[in-house]
Amino acid sequence: MIEIKSLSISLGEFHLEDINLSIYDGEYFVILGPTGAGKSVLLECIAGLHRIKQGRIWSDQNEITHLTPEERKIGYVPQDYVLFPFLNVVDNIAFGLGQAKGAKAKIQERVKTLANLMGISHLLYRNTRSLSGGEKQRVALARALAPSPRILLLDEPLSALDLRTSKSLRNELLRVHREMGVTTIHITHDLMEAVEMADRVAVIQNGRVEQVSEPERVLFYPENEGVSDFIGAPNILDCDYCHSLGQGVMEAGCGGLKLVVPHEGNSFQKVAILPRHIYVSETKPPGLGVNCFKGTITTIKVARNTVRIGIEAGGNNLVAEVPRYIFEEMDLAAGKEVFLILRMRRMRVYEGNSL
Amino acid sequence: MFKILRGVSGERTFRGATISVLAVLALFIIAIIVSMLAYTKWDAFVSALFSEEILFAIRLSVTTATIAAVISILIAIPVAYAISRTDFPGKDIVDSLLDLPIVISPIALGAALLVFFNTPAGAAIDDNVVKFVFAVPGIVLAQITVVTALAVRLLKSTFDSIDPRYEQVARTLGCSKLEAFFRVTLPLAKEGLIASGILTWARAVGEFGATVTLAGATAMKTETLPTAIFLSLASADVEKAIAVIFVLVIIAIVALLAIRKIIGRRYQI
Repeated sequence: MIEIKSLSISLGEFHLEDINLSIYDGEYFVILGPTGAGKSVLLECIAGLHRIKQGRIWSDQNEITHLTPEERKIGYVPQDYVLFPFLNVVDNIAFGLGQAKGAKAKIQERVKTLANLMGISHLLYRNTRSLSGGEKQRVALARALAPSPRILLLDEPLSALDLRTSKSLRNELLRVHREMGVTTIHITHDLMEAVEMADRVAVIQNGRVEQVSEPERVLFYPENEGVSDFIGAPNILDCDYCHSLGQGVMEAGCGGLKLVVPHEGNSFQKVAILPRHIYVSETKPPGLGVNCFKGTITTIKVARNTVRIGIEAGGNNLVAEVPRYIFEEMDLAAGKEVFLILRMRRMRVYEGNSL
Repeated sequence: MFKILRGVSGERTFRGATISVLAVLALFIIAIIVSMLAYTKWDAFVSALFSEEILFAIRLSVTTATIAAVISILIAIPVAYAISRTDFPGKDIVDSLLDLPIVISPIALGAALLVFFNTPAGAAIDDNVVKFVFAVPGIVLAQITVVTALAVRLLKSTFDSIDPRYEQVARTLGCSKLEAFFRVTLPLAKEGLIASGILTWARAVGEFGATVTLAGATAMKTETLPTAIFLSLASADVEKAIAVIFVLVIIAIVALLAIRKIIGRRYQI
């Protein structure tokens, strides 16, 4: 277990203020926040890369606040991987395994195991410069995991990758986490990444922890306006009933709306969808009409690049967000009837009973 | 005036003007070399080149410059690293102070060293430890004094260009600070170290002002290559001077080519 108590630090334009966090053994913990919130600094504090003057950090009841990085048994994967360019893939992975001569066979064994786990066995003798972003990330991960760290620290591990690589690596990270059981702290600015990967999420803004909870709770019960704003103030719909349609799809009735939601498992009480995941159209869109409803515009709020449109549909007050240039091509006004589509794959459900 | 040079014609004029100056400079260097070639009487040149005196000067220059370059680099590595990576009060002043030997005339440095060896402490060292004044160790000391600043400057830019995060990652992988320096920073600095070493060595070979002031210009004793040119000209032996000049030019070209060959590109000073 990692415990951070009253940690404050100020480094140029970044600062952290009175951070208190507990991260449990084996947990996949995601720190979520906008760019410049101080997420990386927090991770670097845990890694021992900054001198801490205020606050304390414990690891399994041992205080590590003033320990040097090499004494902390952590695996650290920085944002752009920082592979050693003068070493090939094998030597990068083996870097943390020491240089003891007698243990050569053991080191080779360990490197092989990790390369298999990360699916990079075919890259072992390659120069790191010739690797793709996803491959570099896997090597950096294998290198960090090689000395069997107690905590794995991942600094925006997916943000530099293209969408497809990022999606597949997301699953791989979770699989590796399951197989190795190592406590993982992963930082990101991507809400959906956090929601899909985390056991628990800490939302951090302006150097402060605003909320720590299960990922669904962040979506459905943001603890304050700051969090709600950052995650994009999702629409929350209360469900009157729900039943399975098979094939991982469920139907839910929310007021007068019949929603089709991808979900397997128990019935749920609430559905969330972000304003930017609701499409607005003046004419009835073609197609099956799944999650397509008629509604009446109640409010229009113009911001710099986007327009937030309040819509009453089936007894629910929804907010849709459209880019401003699209809004300007349409002829929308309060009181007007429009069609809206709720993007099915973007809906999240909440199974919990109350609160 | 600046308005006239707008547009494509202005661009062409500007490019033409800069290239012309470049051409003039290149012609100047070529002209110097050609005039030397034209002036040389080749049989006298060859006999001068293989004279005992010049061979001695080559040997002495290569030996002293090599010792001086190695010592300078060994001093410059920790100094450059400290300036590049750590912050301490008065760092700017120390940093500027280290540049002094680059800017000050070498003869002034040599004179300052000579003065030092005339103080009681300096004289004690000179009499009891190593004889520097008008002796071969003086050559090495003079060269070190002049070229260490250059080595520090070159290595500082090398260390500046290495992202400190390599070391940080190495430390999270279990390396102590010292281990991280040897296992990560030094390998990353390899090219810069080689280039700095060669440039420092070449500069030490060419050093004259401080050397002649501290070690003197005794033929066949403290006669380095630049000193040999000085002595030859003083005795109006132009062939010998030209022979030595060619040796120095060849050493300089070989050094620059070696850097290119080893690190695959021109090294930015």
